Amino acid sequence: MSTAVDGSLVPMTDAPGAAGRGSLFRAEVHRLRSRRFLHVLLALAVVGWLGATALALNHYGVPTASDRAVAQQTMRDVVAQNEVGRQQCLDDPSRPSGTPDDEVCGPRLTLDQLNENDFLPHQPFDFARTGTAGALGFAAASAVLAFLIGATWIGAEWSTRSLVALLFWVPRRTTVMGKKLGVLALAATLLGILAQAGWLATAGILRAVDSAGGRLPSGFWGHLLATEGRAVLLTVFAALLGFGLTNLIRNTGAALGIAFVYFAVLETLIRVVRSSWQPWLLSENAIGLVSPGGTTVYVFDGLGPGGFDQPRQIVISNLQAGVVLGLITAVIVGAGVYLFQRRDLV
Amino acid sequence: MPAVQMDAVSKTYRRRGRPAQKVLNGLDLLVDDGGVHGFLGPNGSGKTTTIRVLLGLVRPDPGGSIRLLDQPVPDGLPHVIGVVGALVETPLFFPGFTGRLNLRLLAETAGVSPARVEECLEIVDLTDRADDRFKGYSLGMKQRLGIAAALLKAPRLLILDEPSNGLDPAGIRDVRELIRRLGRDGHTTVLLSSHLLAEIQQVCDTVTIVARGTRVAAGAVSDVLAGRSDGEVRVRVPDAGMAASILSAAGFAVSPPEMPDGRTLFVHGVTAPGEITRALAAQHTYVEELTPLTADLETAFLALTGEQA
Repeated sequence: MSTAVDGSLVPMTDAPGAAGRGSLFRAEVHRLRSRRFLHVLLALAVVGWLGATALALNHYGVPTASDRAVAQQTMRDVVAQNEVGRQQCLDDPSRPSGTPDDEVCGPRLTLDQLNENDFLPHQPFDFARTGTAGALGFAAASAVLAFLIGATWIGAEWSTRSLVALLFWVPRRTTVMGKKLGVLALAATLLGILAQAGWLATAGILRAVDSAGGRLPSGFWGHLLATEGRAVLLTVFAALLGFGLTNLIRNTGAALGIAFVYFAVLETLIRVVRSSWQPWLLSENAIGLVSPGGTTVYVFDGLGPGGFDQPRQIVISNLQAGVVLGLITAVIVGAGVYLFQRRDLV
Repeated sequence: MPAVQMDAVSKTYRRRGRPAQKVLNGLDLLVDDGGVHGFLGPNGSGKTTTIRVLLGLVRPDPGGSIRLLDQPVPDGLPHVIGVVGALVETPLFFPGFTGRLNLRLLAETAGVSPARVEECLEIVDLTDRADDRFKGYSLGMKQRLGIAAALLKAPRLLILDEPSNGLDPAGIRDVRELIRRLGRDGHTTVLLSSHLLAEIQQVCDTVTIVARGTRVAAGAVSDVLAGRSDGEVRVRVPDAGMAASILSAAGFAVSPPEMPDGRTLFVHGVTAPGEITRALAAQHTYVEELTPLTADLETAFLALTGEQA
């Protein structure tokens, strides 16, 4: 080993220490954006986006006059077939008497009830119809990515124990955890915004290439942007949940395993065995948070108007879902931070 | 003002399903400002736990007091952490980041200039490999990067836990030289925890020896050694048998001649070796060699800690 460039071990910066006013927040941002796993995830996300856009371009198309004529003919055939079937039903002597015809054999199908787009080989892209669904899809993708980023970030800190080394520099544990959470929330917000921007970009391309034209209904943008805003919020919740869960058990693999078992097994079991608990499930609340107007959960617990045959309908509003997700996130993150504050770090 | 002062500090680990384990048992540790202080003890004696307690990583049992650079631990740690550097056991860095990036991230946290990062890389001879990933480093390089990180803040107190681990002989020599230089620079106090007795003896000015979580000796290295010496003197004469008779008659405690040459004997409890010369010369037996034997640190350590050689 050698002495420093000036021949001394004491730095050229001010004594007694070289440390000055540092920024843990800036360092954490630097640390997060230097992670290779994050780069790989984002690269995969971009590849996924390109793939989804390419598939959508292949799926949609501007119909020709011939396509439309074929579609119209198919629609007429469907209506005719439906009418034949309905007539056979009405002529059936065994049908119950005293019940209205429409209730037994269904109402008459008319051409104007059918959408021509559904009968075209390549539908034109209809942003007004798919805008919200696309935002929901991109929200789900960004939430999964954010969960992975949150879990692996703090998981890597625990597995390398660099979190402990950081305490040699910033001994206040709550400060360390708080800054990390702040940086993660910021990153997740950016990710959520980028994901929704990705959907708007895809939609823009599809509208330019595969749209049949037509104006968007009034209030469409306000509606869509509100949905996208809630999608960003879901992304933040997912990132914090991933972080909190992994911080609680200090192992990324175990945290991801728990998440998988929860979503794949536990939620399914609850839907079957304890239907009344459904309004508290994470996935239902995630959908309820992002979907316009929330979501409706059908609970088969025998308390509905028709007993077990007719389910109860419970509406989970956006606000209610946000509060539930926020509370669950706060409890998991808070428990992890509390234990980190109390634990002996050996 | 002492750099480190621990009084009657205890630590008991309580884990569910296991009996409580008392690792520190009323430990006292005093490290004066300046110089290199050795912290020596057998495996499991509580050295690393002591360092973790000092750095606020482990919460001690209630009672006892700890001060680091005159600040109470852990409450006052944030006030002094900017001038305390530490390397505890193995260096803890992100394996996927380069050595330089790992140091820069720490430097950024504390507002240390990038120039200081380069200085520290140069001090530990890692400048050429600074852009390699940490996971590709050898054990010795990792250790050197850990030392560089500990030096980044140009600390007033540098705490090093087994810094020679994994280093090759040249690396060990360099680390010891570095620690010696730091201890003499008038700016830095080094607390060096090591199980290498030679390292402590070569490098340290003062030492604390611990066993089973308790201090068993402390002071200047030379004083600790002197305290373990029993005033033994090796005497070489033409006829050891005759010399033993003369010295026994003069009141000295003499071991029977053991050396096969019949010319060497050991005298114990000697406070003034010149008296041996005088007693033998009075009987016309002349001394060929007279060597006071001092204990080395290994002997003192084994005696103090009750370890078997």
